[in-house]
Amino acid sequence: MAKAEDGTNPEASIWRFAPTRRDFFAGFLGWGAVLTSLGIGTLAFVRFMYPRVLFEPPSQFKIGAPGLYGVNSVSTKWIKALRFWLVRYDDRFIALSALCTHLGCTPRYLATEDKFKCPCHGSGFRGFSSGWTQLGANYEGPAPRPLERFKLSLGGAGDIVVNKGKTYRIDQGQDSDPGAFLPYA
Amino acid sequence: MAQSTITADTEDSGDGTGDRSDGAKVKERARTAQRLAKAIPDKVHTWPYLVRLEMMVGTAVMAFVTVWSIVVDAPLEEPANPTKTPNPSKAPWYFLGLQEILVYFDPWFAGVVLPSLMIVGLMVIPYIDINPKGNGYYCFKDRWFAISTFLFGFLGLWISTVIIGTFIRGPGWYLFLPGEYWDVHKTQALTNVDWSTFFGVASDTTAGFLIGAASALGFLIGPPAVWWHIKAVRRKDAFFLQLGKLRYWITALLFMSMMGVVVKMVLRLAFNVKYIMLGPYNFNI
Amino acid sequence: MEKKGWFDVVQSSYVWKSIFRHEYQDTYRNRVLQISTNVFLHLHPTKIRRHALRLRFTWCMGGITFLLFLILTVTGVILMFYYRPTGEYAYHDMKYLQFDVPFGMIMRNMHRWCAHAMVIAVWLHMFRVFMTGSYKPPREFNWVIGVNLLVMTLMLSFTGYLLPWDQLSIWAVTVGTNMGRATPLLGHEGPFAELLGVDARYDARALLTAGRLIGPATLLRFYVLHCIFIPLLAAILMIVHFWRVRKDGGISGPL
Repeated sequence: MAKAEDGTNPEASIWRFAPTRRDFFAGFLGWGAVLTSLGIGTLAFVRFMYPRVLFEPPSQFKIGAPGLYGVNSVSTKWIKALRFWLVRYDDRFIALSALCTHLGCTPRYLATEDKFKCPCHGSGFRGFSSGWTQLGANYEGPAPRPLERFKLSLGGAGDIVVNKGKTYRIDQGQDSDPGAFLPYA
Repeated sequence: MAQSTITADTEDSGDGTGDRSDGAKVKERARTAQRLAKAIPDKVHTWPYLVRLEMMVGTAVMAFVTVWSIVVDAPLEEPANPTKTPNPSKAPWYFLGLQEILVYFDPWFAGVVLPSLMIVGLMVIPYIDINPKGNGYYCFKDRWFAISTFLFGFLGLWISTVIIGTFIRGPGWYLFLPGEYWDVHKTQALTNVDWSTFFGVASDTTAGFLIGAASALGFLIGPPAVWWHIKAVRRKDAFFLQLGKLRYWITALLFMSMMGVVVKMVLRLAFNVKYIMLGPYNFNI
Repeated sequence: MEKKGWFDVVQSSYVWKSIFRHEYQDTYRNRVLQISTNVFLHLHPTKIRRHALRLRFTWCMGGITFLLFLILTVTGVILMFYYRPTGEYAYHDMKYLQFDVPFGMIMRNMHRWCAHAMVIAVWLHMFRVFMTGSYKPPREFNWVIGVNLLVMTLMLSFTGYLLPWDQLSIWAVTVGTNMGRATPLLGHEGPFAELLGVDARYDARALLTAGRLIGPATLLRFYVLHCIFIPLLAAILMIVHFWRVRKDGGISGPL
C-alpha cells in the first residue's frame, strides 16, 4: 500500500466505509431489492424445473400367484419389463432391484458364478446361496452399497404385488422390515 | 524487423543532429535502435498475411471433416431400451477418464468432487503460478515444476485413462489386452478389503474411521506442511516467501489431491483396497 | 487510358462502392481498412505480431475450434429441420435422416465428427496455451474464461450424445447423470444428503433428467440445453474470450 510523505494513506479516503443516508437508501435498499428479486427469480426457475406430476410408469404391479415361481430360485422373468429379480427361498420371496447402486446400470445374474455382476464398472453382488440376509450384498467392484429390495405384499386375488416406490436397504438393517419380503412357505 | 527499425530511426531522429562523423553518437544511435527494435514488437499486417493463413487452414479443416464424414458413418445402435444394459456400457470417450476413476472411488468423489477440483484447479493456475518466466514462448527449464505437473495430469492421468477406458476396458469392466477376445463371462475373484483392515481394525467401526480419516488427512496435509516448514520457515527460501501461505496451500492441496488419486489407484490395483475411510452419511473415500 | 476489364467496371460501380468503402489495390491504407471496416474481419487487430503467423507457435487450434463451432452450428440447425425430440419420434427421425433424407447422413456424420474434433481441438488449444505460458499476466482472466469454454464444449457434446435416443446414448447418459445422484448434499445418494432430506424426486440429478428415470422428459430437456441454452452461453463466453485476446495484448509472444 503506497503511503504519502506525511504517513497518511491517500487511498484510505476512497475506500473508507462511511455510508451516507443516500448510500443507505440507494445502496442497501436499492441494490438489495434488485438482488433479492433476481434471487427469487432464480429460485422460481429452479422450482419450475421440477414439475408436480411426473409421467413415469406406475410403481405397483401384480406379478401372478406365488406358485408360478419355483422354490429356491432366482427368477429373471421381470428383468426386462420391471427391472427386478424375484428370489424365492424356502420361507420367503424377495424382490431384488436390478439397479446397480454404483451408477444405475442393470446388473446380470450369473447363475454359475452365483452373483449379480454389473457390466458398467464391474460391481459384483452376492447371489442366491449367500442366504436371504446377504442376498445382493456388494463385495467386489466400486458399488458403494447392496442392491435394494422392493416392497412385496399379497394382493386380494392371491397375486404377489410388487411396489417399486418403496425400497428397503439391508445396509441399514431393513432386511427384516415388514414388506421387505413376503413370507410364504 | 525492417518496420521496427524504421520506427526506431524516426523516433531517434528527434534529438539526432545527423552528425555521422561522431563515432560515439553513431554507436549511441545504434544502441537506441536496437533497444527500440526489441521493445517494439515486430508487426505485420493482418490483411493479407493472417487472413490468408486462416483461409488456408480453414479450407484444409473443411476438406478433412468432409472427407471424414463421407468415409465414416456415425454410429447408431438399437433404439433406447432402459432394461437392457449393454456390456460394457461406456460413457462418451472424452469422459472415460472419469469413468475409469469411478472404479476406484465412490461416485460423489469421482463424478462430482474430482471433476470440480479439476476445473477449479485449471482456473486457478494463472493465480498460483507466480513465475514470470516462460510467458509467451516454449521452454521447460524455467518452469519445470509447472510443466511437469501439468503434463503428468494431462497426459499421465487424463489422456491415458481415456485411452485405457476406450481400448483396454471390456465386458464387466475388466482389463483386456488390445486384440484379446472380449469374453462376456470373464470373472475374477476381487474381494474388497478396506484400508483399516491392514491394521487389524474393521473399517465400519469408529477406530477404523479414525484410522482412515487420519491417513487421508495426513497424506493431504502432512507432506506439504513438512515441505513448507523446510523451505519457508527453516531456509527462508525467497521463492516460497514470495509465493505466500495461501497460494502455497492451494497449490499443495490440489497437487496432493491429484497424487492421492494415483495412490488410491495403486492401492486398489495392487491390494484391492476399496475404501481408505468409511465415514458417516456415505462420506467414503 | 487503358481498357477496363469487367472486374474494374464492377468495382467502380456505385453499388460495389456502397458495399466496400475502400479500393482493393494493395496499399498500406487498404490493408488496414480491409480489416477495420469489415464487421467479420475486425475480430482481428489490423496488425499482428509476426510470430502469431507461425503455426509451430500457435498450432492454429483456437481458430480451428471456432471454425468447428461454426460448422456444428450450421449442421446442427440443418438437422433440426427433421429431428423431433420426443421419445416416440427421436430414433425414427435418426433413421429417416440416415436412410431417406438426401444428404441427411452426411450432415449427421459431419455434426458428430466435428463434435469429437472440437473436443480434441479444445484440449490441444489448452495444452498449447499452457506450454507457451500464455496464461501469465496480463492474460490470467482469459485463461479462466477458456476453462469455462472447455466445460461448455464438454457439456454441449454430452447433451448432444442423448439425442439419437439409441442404446449408446441412453446408457452413456445414464452413467453420466447418475453421478448427479452422488452430489454431496444435493444428490439423494451423496454424502450428507440425508441431513437435508434430499430424495430422488427433488435432487441435483432430477433437475437435469426431469424425473427419476431417463425418459422422454429428459430428452426434451437435453435438447433445449443442447440447441439453445449452452450454445448461447458458449457464444457469449467466446465473445469475451476473443475480445480479451486483443485487449490483453494480442496473441502471446516473448515479452
